[in-house]
Amino acid sequence: MEVQSNNFIPAARIAIHDVDLRTAVAMGTDSGFVKRQAVMFADGKAHGEAIRGQAAAIKRNALNKLPDLLEQAEAAMQENGIEVLWAADAAEANRLVLEIADRHDVHSVVKSKSMVTEEIGLNKILEEDSIDVLETDLGEFIVQLGEETPSHIVIPICHKTKESIRQLMIDKADMPPTDDTDEMARFARNYLRQRFLDADMGVSGGNFVIAETGTLCLVSNEGNIRLVTSQPRVHVALVGIEKVIPTLEDYATLTQVLPRSATGQTMTVYTHMINGPQRDDEIDGPEHVYVIFVDNGRSQIYTSDYCEALACIRCGACLNGCPVYKVTGGHAYGWVYPGPIGAVITPLLVGLENAKPLPYASSLCGMCKEVCPVIIDIPRMLLDLRYDLVRSGYTGLDWNMGMKAYAFGGSSPRLFSWAGKAAELATKRFKLNSLPGPLAGWTDYRSMPSFAVKSFHQLWGETNGDLEGADEQ
Amino acid sequence: MSNSREQILQSLRRETQPFPYAKAPSTYLHMVPSGDLSPEELETIFVDNAQKAACIVHQPASQEEAIQTLLDIVGEDRKISSWEPDQIPVHGFESALDKAGIAYVGEDALVNVGVTGVDAALAATGSLVLSSGHGRYRSASLLPPIHVAVVSRAQITTDLETWLVGQRTKGLERMRQTSNIVIITGPSRTADIAMQLVMGMHGPRELHIILID
Repeated sequence: MEVQSNNFIPAARIAIHDVDLRTAVAMGTDSGFVKRQAVMFADGKAHGEAIRGQAAAIKRNALNKLPDLLEQAEAAMQENGIEVLWAADAAEANRLVLEIADRHDVHSVVKSKSMVTEEIGLNKILEEDSIDVLETDLGEFIVQLGEETPSHIVIPICHKTKESIRQLMIDKADMPPTDDTDEMARFARNYLRQRFLDADMGVSGGNFVIAETGTLCLVSNEGNIRLVTSQPRVHVALVGIEKVIPTLEDYATLTQVLPRSATGQTMTVYTHMINGPQRDDEIDGPEHVYVIFVDNGRSQIYTSDYCEALACIRCGACLNGCPVYKVTGGHAYGWVYPGPIGAVITPLLVGLENAKPLPYASSLCGMCKEVCPVIIDIPRMLLDLRYDLVRSGYTGLDWNMGMKAYAFGGSSPRLFSWAGKAAELATKRFKLNSLPGPLAGWTDYRSMPSFAVKSFHQLWGETNGDLEGADEQ
Repeated sequence: MSNSREQILQSLRRETQPFPYAKAPSTYLHMVPSGDLSPEELETIFVDNAQKAACIVHQPASQEEAIQTLLDIVGEDRKISSWEPDQIPVHGFESALDKAGIAYVGEDALVNVGVTGVDAALAATGSLVLSSGHGRYRSASLLPPIHVAVVSRAQITTDLETWLVGQRTKGLERMRQTSNIVIITGPSRTADIAMQLVMGMHGPRELHIILID
């Protein structure tokens, strides 16, 4: 997928003026947020927090052992009859899928929602090879009809109102006009059902891989993942290398924390544990199962100071809680992963120079960390990325000059006090109520506060005597 | 075989662990805390949670009544999708179908009702565990719009954690022999269109649970 993250500010500016988009996004994120709170803390705040701590420890322990776990998982999956392949980058992952399709004479593919396949742009590659690809998650199906991209990790069409979805299904899929959500969903079910039964290959992602048993784990509510992984002859799962966890016990925690954080469900409707192709005594299920471990930049994150980002289980809770995401929606972020975690992962996966505005797309309020089921310190990483941006010379001249001026003024008590006095004079005596030039952004949409007549330093001096003496105490 | 494999594994081998203080939990908290529960309490919790997940729970007084409940759900249809009768814990299932003139098949995309047993029922979340295997077809709980699961009371387990630990006790080899395990919590659904809940997206829109002794 083409990276457009450097376009964040103009894209966000358009998004915040789009009433439909803001209505739709607010509805989706608020619903997710409220339901999560209710279920995470159903047995008390302390228990909910302890569960978060447990999930956080499980993922970090897994990352500590990642290379060993990958080898263990590979061996166990092979024993289970799964063929395991490795892809260093997007091109290799796509090539491997094409080779599998070729080997099994595949002409049609049904897909379930997978962020990794969005990341590597698999659909386009398959279509270029004259293979029919159909997204089967209702949201992703609508995204595909509209030739768009998903805007939320869990709710792909979080940005669309019912009216726009209805119009799209009428225009692109010949749906008989209806305003009824049930009928719209039933139309999609019937439209997709025969395609499922006819498809040669199913492509899925993977939520977890259990190393000790070689089990591929997925979650879904609609049932499309069950169809994708059991109807076609061949099932291919593309899984990020960070998804491997050691044991069944680890799995029990994570697969229940995920839906609690994502949609406020205690379990998804379908929680899948796949141990391989159909056995000799079975009449249904795929004949061949492949798992492709995809790196595509993850090993570089692993050895950096941002390894924590790999603990993410893609629940979307940080999107639902984020004051920035809630007004811009997902598309403004310009790539596959939106929201706070996207603002961290995108620069790391596509290069800092290609996503310069994203580390600043945050008010650092800390809500993302507060709701994260594995307690990823997103604000810390956003600050570190800002540091990296400055160090790499990717920040603009005005920013750098402003910071230099502040550093100069802030390092001299006399200059600092003069600047305070000047600000007081300007705002109080000369009624300055908007800022000039590059600072105008601050005052265009908020009122400029006037500075106090007496500064803190002055007040301190008056009540406690000599300022320098006070500093030394 | 693959250069990328070596390359990826090599690049992940770092000198120090990324999270030196992180350890696997020595004991695992269960998602829903619970003390020792009597079978009656477990059943009450299971039924309550299954209903919350939009399942329709039947608690017939006898095996005969259970069969009748099943036939009532099937209604006028003369063909259903079903697991093999020896995989379903209700007596006289096969002869009752025979008598009513109902044929059963393993896989059929067009029938209305699919009947299965379960491996376990999880009280804490109202979930059903179904594993694939001989005579245990995946499609029976997936393709028809109505899924009927016959659950014997002895199959009710506290929660997912307890069931998975049970699998470890019985030997993981046995579990790994099963190609596909699905844990089902309520009928299929979506809220993708404007957060409005729609039941029966790609899977069944009705999930009946018949609880028997």
